[in-house]
Amino acid sequence: MRIRLSENIRALGIGTFLAGAIVLAATAAAPQAARAQEGSITGRVTDAASQRPISSVQVHLVGTGMGTLSRDNGRYIILNVPAGEYTLRAERIGYTAVEMQVTVAEGGTLQQDFELAQQALGLDEIVVTGTAGAARRREVGNSITQLNIEEEVIGPPVNVDAILQGRVPGMSVTQSSASVGGGAMIRLRGNVSMTQSNQPLIYVDGVRVRSEGFAKNVPPIGYSGRSNNDVSSPLNSINPQDIERVEVIKGAAATTLYGTEASAGVIQIFTKRGSVGKATWSGQLEQGLARNLTFGPDPSLRPPSENPTSLSGGRSDFLFINPWLHGHKPACDDPIVVEGQPCDSGLFNDLGAQQQKFALNVGGGGEDVRYFVSGSYENDDGVLPNDKEKKVILRGNFTFNPLENLQLQWNSSYTNDDLAHTAGGNNAHGMTLNTFRRDRNYLNDESFNAINPFLNQEITTQIDHVITGLTATHTMGMVTNRLSVGYDLAQQDNRNLRPFGFIRAPTGILSTSRFEFNTLTVDYLGSVTFDLPMGVGSQLSFGGQSVTERRELTTAYGDNFPGPGDPDVDNAGNTLGFEDRTRVVNAGVFVSNRFDFADKYFVEVGARVDGNSAFGDDFGFQTYPKINGSYIISDEDFWNDAWGSVKLRAAWGHAGRAPGAFDAVRTFAAAGWGGVPAFLPSNVGNAEIGPETTEEIEAGFEGSFIDDRLAVDFTYFMQTTFDALFSVRQTPSLGFTSSQLANVGELSNDGMELGLNYSIFRNDTWSWDVGGTLSLTDSEIISLGGSPEFSIGGFGWVVEGQPAPVIRADRVSNPDAHADPIIVQDSVFGPNQATTIAGFHTTVGLPYSVLLTARGEYQGGAWMLNGPQAAATRRSVRWAGCFEAYNTEETQGYEALTAEERARCDVAWYQSDFAIQPADFFKIREVSAQAPLPDSWAAMAGAARANVTLSARNFFRWVDPLMRTLDPEVGGNVGYNTRVRSMSEHVPPPAFYTISMQVVF
Amino acid sequence: MRSGRLLALLLIGATTACSIEVVNPGRVQEEFLLEVEAQEAIVKGIGRAVAEAQNYVGYTGAAVTREIHPSGSTGSFGIQVEWQNGELDYETVNTHWNLSQRARWWGDDGIAKIMETGAEEQSLLAEAYLWTGYAYRLLGENFCMAVIDGGAAQDRSVYYDRAMDRFTQAASLGSGDLAMAAMAARASVKAFTGDWSGAVADAAGIPDDFVWNMPYFATEGNATRNRIQFAAQNEPYKAHTVKFTKYEDYGLSDNNPEGDPRIPFRVTDETGDAAVQCCGQVLWWPQTKYEDSGSDIPLSKGTEMRLIEAEAMLVGGDWQGAMAKINALRSAAGVEDVMATNTAEAWTALKRERGIALWLEGRRLGDFFRWNRDNTPGDRHPLEVASGSQFEGSHLIQQDLCFPISRGEVDTNPNISGPTG
Repeated sequence: MRIRLSENIRALGIGTFLAGAIVLAATAAAPQAARAQEGSITGRVTDAASQRPISSVQVHLVGTGMGTLSRDNGRYIILNVPAGEYTLRAERIGYTAVEMQVTVAEGGTLQQDFELAQQALGLDEIVVTGTAGAARRREVGNSITQLNIEEEVIGPPVNVDAILQGRVPGMSVTQSSASVGGGAMIRLRGNVSMTQSNQPLIYVDGVRVRSEGFAKNVPPIGYSGRSNNDVSSPLNSINPQDIERVEVIKGAAATTLYGTEASAGVIQIFTKRGSVGKATWSGQLEQGLARNLTFGPDPSLRPPSENPTSLSGGRSDFLFINPWLHGHKPACDDPIVVEGQPCDSGLFNDLGAQQQKFALNVGGGGEDVRYFVSGSYENDDGVLPNDKEKKVILRGNFTFNPLENLQLQWNSSYTNDDLAHTAGGNNAHGMTLNTFRRDRNYLNDESFNAINPFLNQEITTQIDHVITGLTATHTMGMVTNRLSVGYDLAQQDNRNLRPFGFIRAPTGILSTSRFEFNTLTVDYLGSVTFDLPMGVGSQLSFGGQSVTERRELTTAYGDNFPGPGDPDVDNAGNTLGFEDRTRVVNAGVFVSNRFDFADKYFVEVGARVDGNSAFGDDFGFQTYPKINGSYIISDEDFWNDAWGSVKLRAAWGHAGRAPGAFDAVRTFAAAGWGGVPAFLPSNVGNAEIGPETTEEIEAGFEGSFIDDRLAVDFTYFMQTTFDALFSVRQTPSLGFTSSQLANVGELSNDGMELGLNYSIFRNDTWSWDVGGTLSLTDSEIISLGGSPEFSIGGFGWVVEGQPAPVIRADRVSNPDAHADPIIVQDSVFGPNQATTIAGFHTTVGLPYSVLLTARGEYQGGAWMLNGPQAAATRRSVRWAGCFEAYNTEETQGYEALTAEERARCDVAWYQSDFAIQPADFFKIREVSAQAPLPDSWAAMAGAARANVTLSARNFFRWVDPLMRTLDPEVGGNVGYNTRVRSMSEHVPPPAFYTISMQVVF
Repeated sequence: MRSGRLLALLLIGATTACSIEVVNPGRVQEEFLLEVEAQEAIVKGIGRAVAEAQNYVGYTGAAVTREIHPSGSTGSFGIQVEWQNGELDYETVNTHWNLSQRARWWGDDGIAKIMETGAEEQSLLAEAYLWTGYAYRLLGENFCMAVIDGGAAQDRSVYYDRAMDRFTQAASLGSGDLAMAAMAARASVKAFTGDWSGAVADAAGIPDDFVWNMPYFATEGNATRNRIQFAAQNEPYKAHTVKFTKYEDYGLSDNNPEGDPRIPFRVTDETGDAAVQCCGQVLWWPQTKYEDSGSDIPLSKGTEMRLIEAEAMLVGGDWQGAMAKINALRSAAGVEDVMATNTAEAWTALKRERGIALWLEGRRLGDFFRWNRDNTPGDRHPLEVASGSQFEGSHLIQQDLCFPISRGEVDTNPNISGPTG
């Protein structure tokens, strides 16, 4: 008998789990018997400008191995310090390190506070992503972005996607729908593959976790869109309050040591670890609302023949779905509202979808054991009526030092995410499609009572997700060995029920699926530091990694139920079972050596060799080389300190992306036919298939200028993916109708990234920082390797000499003429991914430690299909996006319509091609204000301090006027795992308005 | 120090020595198909491949010949705007071409595999030949040009020749209904090629009530559902209707209880989900010949044989004999005789009667093609020929009478240089 993971944990008792963890932690934190000849050091670390306490500052006695991290309230304590004189150093990413000479008396406690000044360029900050072991930033020759959450994020972030959105140059993070728990598409420097995933690899505390979305909740047979048509992201399993920092490396020059699968970049998340000292508790209470901005034309633009609202009270600016959207229902005194219809009574009862979050964490520990334990609970409504998410996240991070030279780090998290969704997307049984299409829907009826029964479909998903990793680090002189074992296990239960009597499946349909995704990672890293002649330092690193990914699916399907009730599949008249299991193993070894010349010239050379179970039998292994260098030019004698600090860097490297599990093998599908076995041709197979390999050269500099007030980070990069895996269309008359992946193509991505941060002024009371990012990307298909051009859906094509992919379709060549359209076939519109991404941010510090921050993002250059418009036009739906054209036609006659309007809005000219639109947009991602409560108020609750934060996210949007409906971030029917951005009938992601309080005890 | 290095080496070995050889379950590798035990699944797979091809070709062909009229979705189960207008453009027929070619190729390849390992049972081999013959018949009756295994475009007669060979093999290896089906199918191919004496000879042994069906299944997913039936149902597509077709006048419905029971349909006051271009929202009068999506579609039947015999008589100038054959069928169906006074009227009656007898069986497009090719006398009903306007008559702007070589074949086959057919 198989027992669910969550049941196991519940059986043990979450309370027991937490209590055990805390007892363990408390035991470790218990004061040890003071030894008479030893003393201690304690104090508080604050920001020199704002006087705010700083957590996670490494405070240590130089050369002794003794030290600790400051806690959330800025306090630190180092125990059991032998009496004597020391150099006490405090350092933290983003701040200039401070050293002090101190003397510890026998049995005494030394009080030593620190004030750290923010630093624009932290050359001695430690980074670990993309390097073989940790390295100082000065040693790293490639671009790496580090987000320190406490510095970057004002108030509690909504989720990890929101942390990343608009903060990293060259990164695009787009949420595809309003579905609660929906994931986001993440792209770093655009696309590096035309057929494989472009989602970056995700690591959490060194453990590889699933980066692709979870499975869509849809029955295994029938149309594949009977769903909410969005997917959840494994990133949602991470409590953003648990995150200490995020490191992002973007291309093959930096990701070589991750080998196969890393060509789209790597995001590594580091969660908090405890600090030495007594337990520090931190709590958070958050309440908020989600509300949609308008996503259709204003009703005032409607033609004379149109009523102001639909029969259910829907308005064109919400594509007529507002009667079902939290926050936008018609007023209860509106005569159009029918009995039983939810409405706005005017008593603040329809402000939006409620969001709630409660979180608590505790960290502390002793010299030998440190801990960080946290728990959070979210209870969120979605803007759509059936949408609901309840999520519990528990985390326990423990650091043990059983021996002087051995450290064990065990980090674990468990997430239980319960989701309920409203059927949406391109789905004839869905609420959104049937509302957008009004009386030309699948009921020929737009009234509330006709459409509302679509809500009877139940789409529920439960995801249990465990991420655990144990790392043992052994240091012996110049030799360090590190062994990590990581396990990422997600179990997903999907239940999709159209009950007996459902409006479009009268005898009912039920599908119950259980997915298991797991990733087992074993990493070994060895590192030897030694000196070479001529004063050259050297660090040799070597190691190996094995990653085994499994995906298992079992589904029970039933239809034709005998009557009403809450059914099981075995109640059904027809039942079917499905199973799918795949396992992919990747293993590799690597070696690299970093040479250090005078602590200002650094060169690293290295390589990784990988084998992969998805490679063809005739392929063998793949080697990924790398070399990079950095030069701290500002450390040269000729450099004038007034010029600031500058690091020049350049890197070259390879990384790969493996084919799918079955691409190498010629296979036949065991399809079945009327209950008997039947084989059908499935996959042509390719014994020579291997990974596609991305080669990247990047060069740039990082600098701080004007007394460390201006920070500049510039990178130019050139990527070429060779042996690119292209879907080579097979000649249909040769029997196999599906395309076969082959290493035939070549594509490139060139571009630049610029990051600027400027501190306009800063003193004890006031501060004003501004900054921005700009990234430009230009992609091109260099070669198809002789294979035919091929489509990857949504008018996205892979064509030599064009962007990767290019949107190509028929186009109106005389759009502004008052004449019939002249159609040009196979016209190039432009790239599907944004070519220009620009962000800005500003933070203002006010008296009383009040902080205001704002952040916005622009994306431009992309084109995409507005699928809902295309599908509506071809059905002669009176589409809201055509209201202006209808108005012109009705008031001035058909001849007054332009050729573009005729093509787009008149079914006589219908082609889906005419719904291709520019996807440029600008959004204010966030505006927040944070203020501390008076200490006396906090003290009344026994707290050391408390903050209140007001935030508004994604509450302003500008889109290209040619995109008259929806939102360019809206995705298609497969969630974010898509190669071509296009829209289906989704409600766009809403704006969020939250108030939260954080309390530190 | 030394122990640390040893540990390192051991760990590298442990980390990387694990096997990366993986055989995933589910999909079947080709060598397994050379086992004798795989032969039945190969044969059933060929049958399923033909069923899937028939599903698409028959449905779209029915729309272009106006056996049905579009009333709803233009999407997954709908009738695309181009097909609504009567156009079979090479951009829009990739699925039809792919599935038909897959069925043909898999039939021949599957037979070769069975022959290579030695057929376990003759009846299995006979069935493989029969399904393969139907694949070639489907191609021959519906596609403008032939392409075999990535070769150059050829005259479609290549399909007929291969169909006849496969049916001949099936008839000689098989027995009972299977052999009879092969003979009946060969008769239809011979009729298509103009070999009327051969067709009549093959048809003679087939009794009136014989039917050989292509099975479909309601519970296995879209690929093996009866697509014509499923698309017309209210779940939710209501994609086509009998309204605006010639059959609305003489089919069996609540409006016409005396109508021809071979054309049953249901009259409703509902409309399809979306307007079609020609006529606004169209009343949804769904066919009921196929009662559910598991309803089989006849591939060969005795009534078709009688109509082949009737058509052979017309070709031979015996229009009275032909009318007797036609009316014998009508009497058996319980409907009134039709009258003719000359050869042309008899041809009109025959064309009408084949439309009724073979309604929604995927044969009408082929009939139109060969009658047009042979310039036969007699008229088709105005509602099943192009009116030239989407707003008049059949609402067909044009009427393509065969599927061209698909764009996918043109783009990938180096022996074909551009749109053909």
